[in-house]
Amino acid sequence: MRGMLGVFAELDATVAAIEDLKKGKVGDLTVFSPTPRHELEHAVHPPMSAVRKFTLIGALSGVTFGFWIAIWGSNYWPLVVGGKAISTWLPYVVFGFEVMVMVGALSTVFGMFFLAGIPRLTMTVGYDPRFSHGSYGIFCECTPERQAEAEAILRRHGAVEVRGER
Amino acid sequence: MATLAHPDEPRRPNIASADIQLPAVTSYEQVDNEILSILQPTKAWFGALLLALACLGLGAFSWIYQIHQGLGVAGYNPPVMWGVYIITFVFWVGIGHAGTLISAVLYLFRAGFRTTIYRAAEAMTVFAVMTAGLFPIIHIGRPWKFFWLIPYPNWRLIWPNFKSPLVWDVFAITTYLTISTTFLFVGLIPDIAVLRDRETNPIRRRILGVLSFGWRNTEREWRHFARAYLFLAAFSTPLVLSVHSVVSFDFAMGIVPGWHTTIFPPYFVAGAIFSGFAMVWTIIIPMRRWFGLRHYVTLNHLDASAKLVLFTSLAVGLAYLIEFFIAWYGGVQYEQDYFWNRVFGQWWWAAWIMLTCNMILPLSLFSQKLRRNPTWLWILSIFINIGMWFERFVIVVPSLSHDVEPWQWSSYVPTWVDYGLLIGSFGWFFMWFLLFIKQLPVMALAEIKEIIPPKMKHTHGHGGH
Repeated sequence: MRGMLGVFAELDATVAAIEDLKKGKVGDLTVFSPTPRHELEHAVHPPMSAVRKFTLIGALSGVTFGFWIAIWGSNYWPLVVGGKAISTWLPYVVFGFEVMVMVGALSTVFGMFFLAGIPRLTMTVGYDPRFSHGSYGIFCECTPERQAEAEAILRRHGAVEVRGER
Repeated sequence: MATLAHPDEPRRPNIASADIQLPAVTSYEQVDNEILSILQPTKAWFGALLLALACLGLGAFSWIYQIHQGLGVAGYNPPVMWGVYIITFVFWVGIGHAGTLISAVLYLFRAGFRTTIYRAAEAMTVFAVMTAGLFPIIHIGRPWKFFWLIPYPNWRLIWPNFKSPLVWDVFAITTYLTISTTFLFVGLIPDIAVLRDRETNPIRRRILGVLSFGWRNTEREWRHFARAYLFLAAFSTPLVLSVHSVVSFDFAMGIVPGWHTTIFPPYFVAGAIFSGFAMVWTIIIPMRRWFGLRHYVTLNHLDASAKLVLFTSLAVGLAYLIEFFIAWYGGVQYEQDYFWNRVFGQWWWAAWIMLTCNMILPLSLFSQKLRRNPTWLWILSIFINIGMWFERFVIVVPSLSHDVEPWQWSSYVPTWVDYGLLIGSFGWFFMWFLLFIKQLPVMALAEIKEIIPPKMKHTHGHGGH
């Protein structure tokens, strides 16, 4: 993994650099920002997050398990009351709902971790501590032959620092 | 640190809450520097922590004494077999409602005033639910049997009664604690990364690196983060409503005068939000003063939250009045007698503390001048906390002491053990909160940065500077 890393102080300069790097097809881009910005998302134009699929699968599994544990537990250890059903749907909605929320939410977080590629053990390549503070960044992963082109674009748009990473 | 107290804040702005901005906060660096400066421990902080630990010690001693001597040392007096422990359990669950309401419900409604207070409220929620969860265990007298309520394959080959509201409670509270903690921690990940990147001590840096999961602030991470946060908020919103509804079922399912009513779920939820916001004020108002955060939690933020408190106070007050109306209109003698006894009989003092603190005093918030007076809001929050504890007292004790059988009527006087555990619960709660505010950012750095205009090379187009 080698390429050029540019550090920017301004948002619009970062957006302009992303657009030029994409236009020139210089390499794969990783964009850094201290806070989520729609301007960057529009410039990168990524596909929609698939976290929702994890949410849906988790929620459906949870509601199924919630109802199942209550019905199975009631039938396995019946508390017989005259005129009353052993398993009843209405009170078991509580279990269905609560377990749906718990498993659905936890699988959402799992999905976020999985799709975002975290936990990450090493972060030395293409990262600068300034990106969590107040600066924006672009890491352009490219072949050595195209690094000069990437550097030129980053500098042209006002990067406060440009360096090679490997 | 900025010294502007309330710049650009008109004296009487009648603004929509979604428009609340932070005019005195101008750069991302300022946000990091000012909010992270809170993390330095001070003598006052150590003093407060010692006080919390002393209260916790009293609670721990009381509990150990009760385990050794048996439940008889608490103030239970048959048929009043629910007392301070259940009252305090419901009180702390209620306190725990504001955090998720602020972080999830107000997030979905795009209410701007949540941004600077939601982290503290979320932490408060987690610690309040941790506190609440102790009390059913304390209440059962033999805490080592608590695991019988959890449904899992066991050597006893028996399962809990899934039709019991107490088992519903176990599921509801466990889910709420899990989701509140998850919500808090997920929101903290980017902020822990900020701490990691500024840390110079290699050991602390390593620990923060693990806690931040190697977060790098990439566009890809933010995209999935934002989507996951939205779904967590969507899950948490009905959860907020369900948890206190389920707690209210503990009472409403019982055929006891004053309890057996369908109004309990909305009544409990409104009360929980009301009391939770009061506790947020109790914590946030001193913090904004002592930590110099008045330009983050502005008067506009307090004003907007006061409107929500006023609304929930009116909802709670309406529920009180409807209870009286139902008792009168229902024509059931036991109900009528019970409600008369609540307000004008044996328990008049508790009922009037409740009515004064929760219904009458919050009416002052109709005045914009008082809504924008932090001192008054803090004093009012203490009254509301007291009033809401007494609301639960009024629900629990008078009903059990004045049941349908007159020969069973009795009284209830808490003992020092009850009070010791009540004080201990505050010590436990504040110990965790005080430790939290000196270890992790008490305001969400990334979200505050989101509402600040970013630096721009060209000033046109984005309103930059």
